[in-house]
Amino acid sequence: MKRRGIAGAMICASVILISSLGSTGATAVTPSRAAFPTGPVKLVMWWWGEQEAPGAKLWLADTIKAYKVKHPNVTIQTVLQTTDGLVPAFAAAAAAKKGPDLQYFWGGIYAQQPGWDGQIAAVSDYIPAKELAHYINASTEEAFQGKIWTAPWYVNPSFPVIARKDVFSKYKLTVPTTWTDLLKACDVLSAKGVTTIAGGIKDGWFGGWLYSIIGAQSVTSSNDVISAVVGKQKFTDPIHAAWWTRLQETQSHHCWNTDINSLQLYQAQQLWVSGKAAMTVVAGPDTPNFVAKVGASKVVVMPMPKWGTGAFAGKLGTTSQTIGITKWTKYPQVAADFLMFSHQKAQLNNWFARTGSMPADDRFSIAGVKDPVKRALFTSVLAGGPYLENFIPAQLDTDAVFTNAQLVLKGTRTGAQAAANMQSVMERLRKTDRNLVKNFTAWSK
Amino acid sequence: MTSAVTTAYPVTAPELSGAARGRRRNFGPWPWILPAGIGILFVFGYSLVDLLQQSFKYRGAWVGLDNFRLVVTDPLFQTAIFHNALLLFTVPILVALALLFAILLFETRRGMRFYQSAVFLPYLLPIPVVGVVFGQLLQLNGALNSGLRALGLQSFALDWLGDPNQALVTMSAIIIWKEVGFGTILILARLISLPTELLEAAQIDGAGFFKKHLKITLPQLRPVILFYAINEAIVMVSWVFNYVYVMTNGQGGPGDATMVSELYIYRSAFQNQAPELAAAAAVLLLISTLFFIVGFFKVQSRSQSGVLDE
Repeated sequence: MKRRGIAGAMICASVILISSLGSTGATAVTPSRAAFPTGPVKLVMWWWGEQEAPGAKLWLADTIKAYKVKHPNVTIQTVLQTTDGLVPAFAAAAAAKKGPDLQYFWGGIYAQQPGWDGQIAAVSDYIPAKELAHYINASTEEAFQGKIWTAPWYVNPSFPVIARKDVFSKYKLTVPTTWTDLLKACDVLSAKGVTTIAGGIKDGWFGGWLYSIIGAQSVTSSNDVISAVVGKQKFTDPIHAAWWTRLQETQSHHCWNTDINSLQLYQAQQLWVSGKAAMTVVAGPDTPNFVAKVGASKVVVMPMPKWGTGAFAGKLGTTSQTIGITKWTKYPQVAADFLMFSHQKAQLNNWFARTGSMPADDRFSIAGVKDPVKRALFTSVLAGGPYLENFIPAQLDTDAVFTNAQLVLKGTRTGAQAAANMQSVMERLRKTDRNLVKNFTAWSK
Repeated sequence: MTSAVTTAYPVTAPELSGAARGRRRNFGPWPWILPAGIGILFVFGYSLVDLLQQSFKYRGAWVGLDNFRLVVTDPLFQTAIFHNALLLFTVPILVALALLFAILLFETRRGMRFYQSAVFLPYLLPIPVVGVVFGQLLQLNGALNSGLRALGLQSFALDWLGDPNQALVTMSAIIIWKEVGFGTILILARLISLPTELLEAAQIDGAGFFKKHLKITLPQLRPVILFYAINEAIVMVSWVFNYVYVMTNGQGGPGDATMVSELYIYRSAFQNQAPELAAAAAVLLLISTLFFIVGFFKVQSRSQSGVLDE
């Protein structure tokens, strides 16, 4: 009876554990360079982006339809992913070596890591270098040792602050462009019960945004960040740690909505729309939509108020959201052909028409954009700074940036403590991911 | 069972030889269990072996106990385990509440079915629904706090899920709300099946409500209560993932205030692309869960031989 009980217990414990952990681990499969197939081909594409570029879904449907006219034998099925599910869903698919043929990735590390882990084939194996040279941010975020992992899809000016002139003027204030002015505005508005900047950090993502738009002001390049990742610099060094102090200042000056820790990123932005907050931070592709909701005459689109003296202070960052070809797809050449098709002039123009945001291709004509807000945004990203969050390990982002930002904004952790914690998480990550230093070092060259 | 077999054989067995009968007796229940057993062994046994193998490897190369060392020394894992341990403190609360509700329902003559449904309903609700509803309800400016403020109870309007000092307590309260119905129904079912003579005799002898249930009801409920307590202990150690995931958007936040071991495993495997560390953490969780599961089976076997046969 005792033995049976233990055997039963083992089975039950296995059920519990296996339900929380699938079999994982991916091995590389060499893609074939077969000719374009003439028989029926079905591709599955997992994507994200409707959340930040509304209209992307319609564009995708249009593009697939147009591609079907060109290649009647190719069917492309799309699956829209949730924000929280995008990375884990692909990780699970990669472990099983089945799932999408085309996969959406955020730029930088989010595209590099699947490449390092052998989950995707380099698009540069299938798309000519001459063509890839037009894809914005491909060479800065997606390049690794002469290869380009993924094909940029659309540009994300990262991340604009949108300010309501009407709210500021109501309290006899002007839109702050420097850090000192921002903190003064926070003091005045909070005393009147008005939120200066609306934010939601419950889901963590906003922490990464803040790191990038505040932290970028003190670094000289993305390589500074990579140096801290590999251990040549420290996240407690002033150029990496000062932003935490700035963040703490925003908390102590009551810049944020009091419920920042119980709201999600997108929920909080609505406080700005409803006039309860003077400023908020939005995704670049979605900026024109927010401006339209309030009226362009009442809104200023700007980078985060300036505090640093670095080259990127007072500038927007730039990153491209990208598409990769999975290692297990049977038709990498078809997937690549579809990606190239999506960069043809008709598709680039249609992207802008459908979403109002910028396709990641320098052949798209900014001169043709009439809306001054959009034109200014598009122009700014061509000379934009690095989007820092994309140059640190994703785990450092979730385990240190997201969590510490939550605690600093709640007032339960100081900026210095947050920087120290980020450094200790990084030191630990260098031990747990034995290839991390090697990969990041190679990436920085 | 034995008597049923012996009385059935004369009808069906005359054509079997003595040797065949012997063989049938020797195999016992195994031929019936074997097909399902093979299935379970294949599905879970294989995965378990794979899991164990993974926990000793890194990218396919043998690393001995390295993964375990890294997991055990990870402050986040330590925090997660600590939170699971803290959640175990909800078990006595759950048992006490379930017992109280069951006795109250037992004593309630009118509207018993309605109250029974009301108590049991949360247990039937899907966890994602519970998570989303409470996530909205418990926002700093959500419905609950708005209500409290309207009643002049501002000091009770806390940042239930947004304050790192408060979040785990809030989470525990939600888990208790959801899980207490199961215990109530379990204990109530046992209460109803108890012989009433003793209770009636005690009442005639002048025993009050508390004395009656403390001295007569409670001892008879012990196996059921133990079963429920162990079941809930297993829940707190290894089944709270859904609550945490839905209510914190998979973050275990704010900070690491609601991080639990399952979420640590999930994030290691699927978010941080560290399946080996996830495997090591899962093996550790398996070992800790095993203690409860062995206890669970012991109670179950006692219940089968005792309580359920009564």
